[in-house]
Amino acid sequence: MDKQEKRKRLAKKIQLNLAMTVGEIFDPIDEDTTRPKKMAYFDRIFKTFTQGGEGAVNRKKTQKLIGTYCLFVPEEIIYAAGGQPVRLCAGAYESVEVGEEFLPDSACPMVKSEVGFTTLPVLSFYQQCDLVAIPASCDWKAKMAEIIHDYVPVVMLDMPKVKEGEASRAFWLSEVKRFTKEVEKVTGMRVTRSRLRGAIQMIQKAQVQFRRFHEIRKAEPPVIHGRDALEVLNAYFYDHVESWTAAMATLNDELEERVNNRESVAKPMATRLLITGSPMVFPNWKIPTVIEELGGVMVADEFCTSNRYLHDKVAVDEGLLSDMLHAIADRYLLPSCCPIFSTTIDRRDRLLQLIKDYRAEGVIYHILKGCHPYDVETRIIEKLLQDNGVPMLKIETDYSPQDVEQLRTRIEAFMETLKGQRHKEKS
Amino acid sequence: MKVYRLRIAVQAISFIILIYGGLFYIDMGNRMPTFSCAYVDDRGGGCFLIGFQHMLSRPFGEFLGDAGIRLLKAMGIFALWSIVLNKAWCGWICPFGFLQDMLSKIRSFFDVDLSRFGWITRTRYKSVKYIFLVLLILIPLGIANSFFGLEKIPRDWSVPFCQICPARVILPVFNGDFSQIHIDFSSNTTMVLTTIVMVLVALFFTTAFVKRRFFCSYCPMLALLSLFDKIGLLSLKKNGQRCTRCGNCSRACPMEIREIEEEKVLTNLVTQDCTLCLRCVEVCPEDKALETRFCGIPIFTASQQGFLKRQGLDEESHTNKNGA
Ligand code: SF4
Ligand code: SF4
Ligand code: SF4
Ligand code: SF4
Repeated sequence: MDKQEKRKRLAKKIQLNLAMTVGEIFDPIDEDTTRPKKMAYFDRIFKTFTQGGEGAVNRKKTQKLIGTYCLFVPEEIIYAAGGQPVRLCAGAYESVEVGEEFLPDSACPMVKSEVGFTTLPVLSFYQQCDLVAIPASCDWKAKMAEIIHDYVPVVMLDMPKVKEGEASRAFWLSEVKRFTKEVEKVTGMRVTRSRLRGAIQMIQKAQVQFRRFHEIRKAEPPVIHGRDALEVLNAYFYDHVESWTAAMATLNDELEERVNNRESVAKPMATRLLITGSPMVFPNWKIPTVIEELGGVMVADEFCTSNRYLHDKVAVDEGLLSDMLHAIADRYLLPSCCPIFSTTIDRRDRLLQLIKDYRAEGVIYHILKGCHPYDVETRIIEKLLQDNGVPMLKIETDYSPQDVEQLRTRIEAFMETLKGQRHKEKS
Repeated sequence: MKVYRLRIAVQAISFIILIYGGLFYIDMGNRMPTFSCAYVDDRGGGCFLIGFQHMLSRPFGEFLGDAGIRLLKAMGIFALWSIVLNKAWCGWICPFGFLQDMLSKIRSFFDVDLSRFGWITRTRYKSVKYIFLVLLILIPLGIANSFFGLEKIPRDWSVPFCQICPARVILPVFNGDFSQIHIDFSSNTTMVLTTIVMVLVALFFTTAFVKRRFFCSYCPMLALLSLFDKIGLLSLKKNGQRCTRCGNCSRACPMEIREIEEEKVLTNLVTQDCTLCLRCVEVCPEDKALETRFCGIPIFTASQQGFLKRQGLDEESHTNKNGA
């Protein structure tokens, strides 16, 4: 059997496994009658994974597809140049073993999964990208371009690590401008003042719904599960921003109605948890699922794939092209609380604010094995939370489903202590 | 009404009152903390600096008598004006500030990029206004007194700052008075000073065109006003925990003030160069990160929702009831 044939078979096998995983996730979800009806739109996107992701990405055939990683690649620019962005950060256990051929064991499962999907045709949109933009965020990402450049055209964006400096900002702005030129070359369309203004507005409209959604999540009792919140933002990876915004508007309408009717997705007095750390991407929903099965609610998260994804906003000031590019560069760099940067100042304040706003009782700190940046910050965050009297559970795991039962025990115990604390506070 | 539109309206009305108010018998006194130039015939109120310099050119002994009381009274009125509105005199009222804002508007209309100071230059530049302030106090004193037994400064140095103030040349033009546009050959000093002012006028137009509020960054009035930064009734407050340091505020700030973005601990953000134009509050996307208060009562607060509205999304609110 030749190599080609072998890989094809492997791809087929992985596709089947992925389809099973997707099925296992959605079977119980589909039976859940308390779930908001309008989630169906978002479910559809993930259910197409079973057909190799065909149809997951919402774009016109003529539109160029620009793959992105992390949250540093300015989508405004891609839209303004007539392209369709697709965020390729991956969460599938199934493709990890493929990635392992190219990476050391110590690499995080996310980068393994991504390299797996890029090098083996399992999800079609990974191969269809006309350009893949990789920011040199963590060390794994910095090396990724070289590993996958035989499979897809790649552009690297160099990232400054000390974002406070004047030179770092100027440098990042020049990277954003270079990226603009690269995208223009691929799409054959220039980023003009009015197109960029339009693209910024399009995303700002999405942010209107994003903000509304997060206001609703503050409601007590909670009207939506944290896993579903991860899902809607995860859907943004693949959807066109306008379709996503429209779907969010209807979901928000439904949720607001639920708030008015006090329709809860959890039992009264359910434990309110906040989750932070390494990002979780579909289908790696094992922790949120466990929390939910145990009767808790993930009221908020601090993931770059979810709550942080659309939070920061581009502020158009004078509206000149240079002014907007500057604003875009700043938006992706300065407020980011990604742990690749030298200080944790912004992340610390953001966490405390989230805990306060969403009245979280405890925090789960999620580390993917091999995700050094989040690992490094654990101590600092642990101390911060301790000083503020917020209990924290650190969970280090990967994409494999093997440790689910062990996780369940630990999370259950953690929730018990939180309940105990609640009683103590009352008496 | 959006704040920047309101601000342009207030600036325009102030401009009319201060430049043409005299025609309608408006007189707000001669102690105003703003460049409402005394050389404008139909002015509706006068700039403090000219009277201040006049009052200072007296022998020291006289300050113990009437002259001292007059000076104190003038400074008292100036202080009162300043405390009530704080730096909003610069952001909302000053006709010279308004002219600079209009030049910026014209620039952006013609699609010309703005230029910015480097960070180090910006910090160094802060001291220039104090040099002007010190000179405009010392020179008048030196005219009437001799320091350390040196000769007194000649009379033709009187009101030295007005002699080199570009507002003296530019603002009367709006009254149809072009007489200030000339070089005075009556003495070497006046010749030099009036030449300087002509150069400054030319610089005013070119610099204000490419750089927002360039003149303000070395205006001695701003130096005087900033004595009242922390006690002014109008204040600009920051809640550091809510700030993500996104940099929107400092980028949009016409005075290129970085503290507004960087500060995480201090709450009073009326900094030395702030003109209280409130542009920073308008472009801040975080709930309650920045807030303007008058006598402690919030009058304009940053919010996510308000931000998105101000970015021009208010017309699109059909599908959501309380969203946009
Ligand atoms: S010349 Fe300048 S300092 Fe003098 S009164 Fe006029 S505006 Fe004021
Ligand atoms: S700083 Fe600017 S606005 Fe303020 S008084 Fe001076 S010229 Fe006018
Ligand atoms: S705009 Fe607001 S959130 Fe952003 S840096 Fe300024 S104060 Fe902070
Ligand atoms: S800090 Fe704010 S109010 Fe002050 S000058 Fe800058 S933008 Fe205007």
